[in-house]
Amino acid sequence: MGRFSWRRGKRKGRTGLGILLVCSIGLSGCAQGTAPTASSTENGQPGTTPTKDELVLAVGTEPEGGFDPTTGWGQYGSPLFQSTLLKRDAKLQLVNDLATTYSVSEDGLEWTVTLRDDVKFSDGEPLTAEDVKFTFETAAKSGSVIDLTNMADVKAPDDRTVVFTLKSPQSTFISLLTTLGIVPEHAYGADYAEHPVGSGPYKLVQWDKGQQAIVEANEEYYGSKSAFHKLTFLYLDEDAAFAAAQAGTVDIAAIPAAFSKQQVNGMTLEAVKTVDNRGIMFPMQPAGAKSGDGLPAGNDVTSDLAIRQAVNVVIDRKALVEGVLEGYGRPAYSVSDDLPWSNAEAVFMDASLEEAKQILAAGGWVDADGDGIVEKNGVKAEFNLLYFAGDLTRQSLALATADMVAQAGIKINVEGKSREETKKMAYSNAVLFGWGSHDPLETYNLYSSTHKGEGYYNVGLYSNPVVDSWMDKALQATSEEEALPFWQKAEWDGTTGFSYQGDAPWAWLVNIDHLYLVTNGLNIGEQQIHPHGHGWPVTTNLEEWSWDNSTK
Amino acid sequence: MTGRNGWARFVGFKVLRLVSLLVGVSVLSFILMQFSPVDPIEAYIGGDMIRVSAEQRSLIEERWGMNESPTERLLTWGQALIQGDLGTSMIYRQPVADIIQERFMNSVALMAVAWLLSGIFGFALGVVAAMRRNSKLDRLICWYCYTLASTPVFWIALLLLMVFGVWLGWLPVGLGVPAGMSADQVTWGDRAIHMILPALTLSLTGVASIALHTRQKLTDVLESDYILFARARGERGFQLFRRHGFRHVVLPAITLQFASFSELFGGAVLAEQVFSYPGLGQATVQAGLRGDVPLLLGLVMCSAIFVFTGNMVADILYRMIDPRMKEELMS
Repeated sequence: MGRFSWRRGKRKGRTGLGILLVCSIGLSGCAQGTAPTASSTENGQPGTTPTKDELVLAVGTEPEGGFDPTTGWGQYGSPLFQSTLLKRDAKLQLVNDLATTYSVSEDGLEWTVTLRDDVKFSDGEPLTAEDVKFTFETAAKSGSVIDLTNMADVKAPDDRTVVFTLKSPQSTFISLLTTLGIVPEHAYGADYAEHPVGSGPYKLVQWDKGQQAIVEANEEYYGSKSAFHKLTFLYLDEDAAFAAAQAGTVDIAAIPAAFSKQQVNGMTLEAVKTVDNRGIMFPMQPAGAKSGDGLPAGNDVTSDLAIRQAVNVVIDRKALVEGVLEGYGRPAYSVSDDLPWSNAEAVFMDASLEEAKQILAAGGWVDADGDGIVEKNGVKAEFNLLYFAGDLTRQSLALATADMVAQAGIKINVEGKSREETKKMAYSNAVLFGWGSHDPLETYNLYSSTHKGEGYYNVGLYSNPVVDSWMDKALQATSEEEALPFWQKAEWDGTTGFSYQGDAPWAWLVNIDHLYLVTNGLNIGEQQIHPHGHGWPVTTNLEEWSWDNSTK
Repeated sequence: MTGRNGWARFVGFKVLRLVSLLVGVSVLSFILMQFSPVDPIEAYIGGDMIRVSAEQRSLIEERWGMNESPTERLLTWGQALIQGDLGTSMIYRQPVADIIQERFMNSVALMAVAWLLSGIFGFALGVVAAMRRNSKLDRLICWYCYTLASTPVFWIALLLLMVFGVWLGWLPVGLGVPAGMSADQVTWGDRAIHMILPALTLSLTGVASIALHTRQKLTDVLESDYILFARARGERGFQLFRRHGFRHVVLPAITLQFASFSELFGGAVLAEQVFSYPGLGQATVQAGLRGDVPLLLGLVMCSAIFVFTGNMVADILYRMIDPRMKEELMS
């Protein structure tokens, strides 16, 4: 029996191992995400130690299709490796980038752009109008999110001039000039997406798919020189990005609101203003209508103006920001708050229960049977509010809104549904959607009656001929400055519009701030108002980032 | 009939079964994708859908062949497949074969390490638990295994990430290579360090079922007559196990090991997500969630071949190890 004494030793060894396992699991069960101890230095991982002119960023998801602007790279944020004809500055005003001037013909169909003559691609070749023509033609054929169906033709009469011919006037075509990065005709091939050559401030050095992209400053860049020579973009999911920030391995990480309350040593939380909004869409037709695809549409309760206005005015948006977004946000009164095409008059005093009750009473809604819900002509003021299941923020917003609205006598039944189900039910139920873009075309598609009911366009089947005519004038304008007043009039022209004071087809709730953990001392410059989505737009002004010498 | 003919027939049948399996799996997956409510075009356009006109949508559909009927699409895909073309992925805009090739080696390395570790530790733990049945050690091992078997892979992944990546800072928080390092400077040591956490995650979860099954099988063996006879002769402990228990439990253990190939694939998908490890897992998740049919079918076939190979190897090993089966095959 005692022949193998090591047997007992083996048992002790096994027991010891077992206890060790128990302890480690037990330890990890306690304490939630504490700050790293002093033992982990700021950049304490094996590998390169970033110096002051190098940055490590974990700010977004990987572009799976690669870095080819003609298939959609750079549509969200900026293309980084390529340059665009125009761009928007921190205040979202149009600014020249590759273009020196641009003009639009009287009928709005011919756009002429003149280019700079000192631009070189990162391989030393000059950028000419032929490259621009090639880029737009390739993008039009690529079958991607870039919509050039309105572009009839693009010509390059000489090296410095490009002429676009549109099929119908569209002032929002300017968005394509600000987001489509120019690719070199001579260096474009099947593997361009993995080895992009461009005239942007940076060039791609190495792309480890699914993991990281290593980027270096482009010496041939014609604009301001960046303070950083080398950037490493890590493609981590939210939890991993936060863990990396805690471990001190990244200089900036985009984090979800859930982690906003946790302190990380050596990093500050930057909250960037956005137009990433959430709002309630109301079906505008009475029940019995049909959508474009023949689905049942319309809702007898939400199609009543008094109901929509009452909902809008009883909601306390500041409370929503404090309660649901932990203060990281601002109230939303339209789909494009603070953007150049937004009408400041659309802002109104909310959080007024009195006014809501007055509006309902004036609209003929009375609580006859004393159950707390108002009625009119036998119809109870009750409707469903759908949100995309699994999205915690939307769920919280919907529930909080339902609570506030209940005080006015309107009952909202909140339901979480999948995206596909929501799409079918959206024509006859109120839905919590989120939008927010740097392109006024979004406003047009949300409120125009031309394509109402197609896809996500104007799901509420809103139709106001005055609004339509203002928006058509906006599209036919020959410059953005000319178009802006028309967009604003469509929102509210003193008599009608798609704002609260007009038809109130939506009840916009909040704009959510985008949160970034930034290493102390890193200055990310003045940020534009970010659009809907998360992460990448923070890099739009990368060339302006710097270290604050005073604090570092 | 000579041995060689026997083997040839054996392999021949296996190949036939593989082909029919692949056909069945592809058709079934394709049908499931048709029933999936995910609209691949919408999933592809994503947040830009408010700016994409109906005309552009139909352009996109045409580009990716979505405007044909399902049967047509399946036949086109099948025809291309026979000629060796797996199609192009809508999400990655690359040939499917390239995508799989790029990521396959990474996944295989990770799965191999995890498989070996979970096999060895699982077997060892199972044996120890069975030999020391109902002792404290046995109970500890059972408790440990049940706990692990009930925890989701991604949860363990996050746990390990927190402990080793953040609190202790010993291991990197993700990726397959060090951040910011150019490819020519990456050493095997770096790759190994980055593989530790994902491999550990996968092995921890794989150990549980192997250990418990081995324990059960060995317990059954230990109740047999020849074991009783051996004990009567004074054999105990490791010697008893080595001489009499091992051979009887090694066959079920091998079956389990190779059968766990399929679990490995599934677990790898989740572990890779958490650690941003560049493998087939990421591609599979994206393909499924966004309705990328060519990529998904390619991956499904790949995993079917993988699992099939595992089972086939187990079959072959059986015939080689077990003399009874060997004779059957030869005769």
